[in-house]
Amino acid sequence: MASQFSGVLQLTDLDDFITPSQECIKPVKVEKKRGASVAKIQIEDDGSYFQVNQDGGKQKLEKAKITLNDCLACSGCITSAESVLITQQSHEELFKVLRENKAKETEQMLVVVSLSPQSRASIAARYGLSSSEAGRRLTSFFKGLGVHHVFDTSYSRTFSLLESQREFVERFQRKEQDKKSLPMLTSACPGWICYAEKTHGEFILPYISTTRSPQQMMGSLVKGYFAEQQGLTPQQIYHVAVMPCPDKKLEASRPDFYLNKPETREVDCVLTSGEVLKMLEEEKVSLSDVQPAPLDTMFSNVNGDEFLSHAGSASGGYLHHVFTNAAKQLLGEEVKELTYKTLRNKDFQEVTLEKDGVVVLCFASTYGFRNIQNLVQKLKRGKSPYHFVEVMACPSGCLNGGGQIKALPGENQKELLQKVEELYKADLPQAPEDDTRVAELYQSWLHSVGEERARELLHTQYHAVEKMTNGLGMKW
Amino acid sequence: MKEALTLLHRLNGHPDSRCWFVSWSPTGTLLASCGGDKAVRIWGQEGDSWVCKSVLEDGHQRTVRKVAWSPCGNYLASASFDATTCIWKKKNDGFESLTVLEGHENEVKCVAWAPSGNLLATCSRDKSVWVWEVDEEDDYECVTVVNSHTQDVKHVVWHPTQELLASASYDNNICIYKEDDDDWECRATLQGHTSTVWSLAFDATGQRLASCSDDRTVKIWKEYPSESGNDLSWKCVCTLSGYHGRTVYDIVWCRLTGALATACGDDAVRVFKEDETADPDQPVFSLAAQATKAHNQDVNCVAWNPKEAGLLASCSDDGDIAIWRFEEED
Repeated sequence: MASQFSGVLQLTDLDDFITPSQECIKPVKVEKKRGASVAKIQIEDDGSYFQVNQDGGKQKLEKAKITLNDCLACSGCITSAESVLITQQSHEELFKVLRENKAKETEQMLVVVSLSPQSRASIAARYGLSSSEAGRRLTSFFKGLGVHHVFDTSYSRTFSLLESQREFVERFQRKEQDKKSLPMLTSACPGWICYAEKTHGEFILPYISTTRSPQQMMGSLVKGYFAEQQGLTPQQIYHVAVMPCPDKKLEASRPDFYLNKPETREVDCVLTSGEVLKMLEEEKVSLSDVQPAPLDTMFSNVNGDEFLSHAGSASGGYLHHVFTNAAKQLLGEEVKELTYKTLRNKDFQEVTLEKDGVVVLCFASTYGFRNIQNLVQKLKRGKSPYHFVEVMACPSGCLNGGGQIKALPGENQKELLQKVEELYKADLPQAPEDDTRVAELYQSWLHSVGEERARELLHTQYHAVEKMTNGLGMKW
Repeated sequence: MKEALTLLHRLNGHPDSRCWFVSWSPTGTLLASCGGDKAVRIWGQEGDSWVCKSVLEDGHQRTVRKVAWSPCGNYLASASFDATTCIWKKKNDGFESLTVLEGHENEVKCVAWAPSGNLLATCSRDKSVWVWEVDEEDDYECVTVVNSHTQDVKHVVWHPTQELLASASYDNNICIYKEDDDDWECRATLQGHTSTVWSLAFDATGQRLASCSDDRTVKIWKEYPSESGNDLSWKCVCTLSGYHGRTVYDIVWCRLTGALATACGDDAVRVFKEDETADPDQPVFSLAAQATKAHNQDVNCVAWNPKEAGLLASCSDDGDIAIWRFEEED
């Protein structure tokens, strides 16, 4: 099975494409029963296992099952969890929930889909639509299937950008006392987070921004604020995120994003852009023929019927926003235009601010595994000049995510990526601080900016995964 | 006319351990060896005998699998199962550890310097091939990480004149890489071996590549202009089978004489010579000489001296290094 995970995740694996049952090193807890201590195990023709007791009695043995959480807690492999993942988070699952909803008179789930702007652009490119038009038609398509609300993660990204900005200023101010406060490394890319936790653990984690990604900001909003507004419990909402990246499925499965009291995930299911295309195809629907629907404005970054975006990179624009804000807030400089200097390759860029001939802010974006490597090595050698780094696991960033729609036969992948970028960039940018609705939510939902409640609901934590070595895997 | 392999010296290179690899310095005066004892040793000739000039220890926590000289001869790179590659710099009479390249997930299997000396390639059990760039300040940066193999990558080798890299893997394939639009890409996959490909060697011109495998064969691949224009086209033009009793672990092509030498799991060292009258599209190689009991155990590596034609070094699981002369007898 070819993996669609980001290259980073494939590399952290020991033996990628081996299914967990074959070479998983996660110990499985076995409930020991007292009694018959000697028994034989017999394998039937169909591959099922039977325990044969001394008295000749047979008993079918249960297969050990590995959940995604087991996989996340283990350093042995990561993409081998793919088969596990696909069964838990797929468009089949969404269809199942929608079918069950239709069959029931009461106790229906409220189904919410949060669409990422990168997915919107990818789907728009396939159907020759503008990104906003694709958004309106996808809203119509999902609602036709029985989805109740279609939101836009560019809206929740406004929270991510504002929180990143605050976190950066706070870190910058304590940089003398705390050597690990800078550089602040972005955290929106789950492939990067997974790699950092599994391979560089305690060393790298303190540098990583605790701000939640747009997907998990939306999780918090939907299962928290929105549920409350609707008078529902969080379990009564089924929350689907549509993302450019299959690694986002892993992110949604993190225990940090599992609500213990109501026992539900903040994001129940993540679908990739490609999986949404598959849904359209399975429903025999061409988006070109779908009547557009009005947008759900509640949690969408829109102006009328047009989606709004954020300035800077198509991977969220973190560098752009944090840089302009830090220049203003920390140094009193108004930066209108950012100059990106390409370093080793197009996926390693630098932006600096000079004052009186001295570099006062030094930011970078590093995309793709090779550049992440160099960044990590620079940090390890104490040679990083950076205050902030926008880190993404995929070369070219999120628009080129592993979950994006692949080029058609005869279509050039690079040209397609360019087209998707043009569509993405066609949405007009809005400055996060200008979003009055977000500002209101800070007051009503989070009580106030920077309070404990905001910390809890808008930030997260990282956990180093201890390395386990498996001597059996030795190959010369 | 008859050829023969004559043993000149036998050194107990890595006592009580395996000797994995030997490599001649560019001037041919020094021989570097590495082994299961986690050390790299440098050997030189004094009078009539070969002596250990220095031992490079404390660089690695586990087996050192390969060692490579930089084209200028002032640096050594060692690849280890401890997942790191160590760069050593010549200082006075010895070598000192300059830097450690980290990044591979697990065992680094091979390291090779590009002819320019500015690029270094490594490969690992993590299935990836990395290219590193060296700057004037001896800083190493990762230029690319390519995941074109589906299994353990055993060997990497550079083309003698171009920035073209080849790798061999447990997935039975050979991949050929080139830089394209600021990243490296696998531009050709050579399929034909039916088991692990252990090693590769380009001929002096770089137009042909020899590969050796666990399938007990040696294959010669030749580059052809491709029809599509962009991709590289390599075809297998010759397969040597029936000569090797077990896995062929290493192959090396003498840049001076064109002789091919192999290291085999049947404890033998063999030398093949090409029939110069044959059609270049259907080359013919014949066994010119062999030392059947070259070592007491598997022969892991063979290396032709770059300056002295016919001088061949080999090493083995028995920990020994042997130096041979291949010559024509009357």
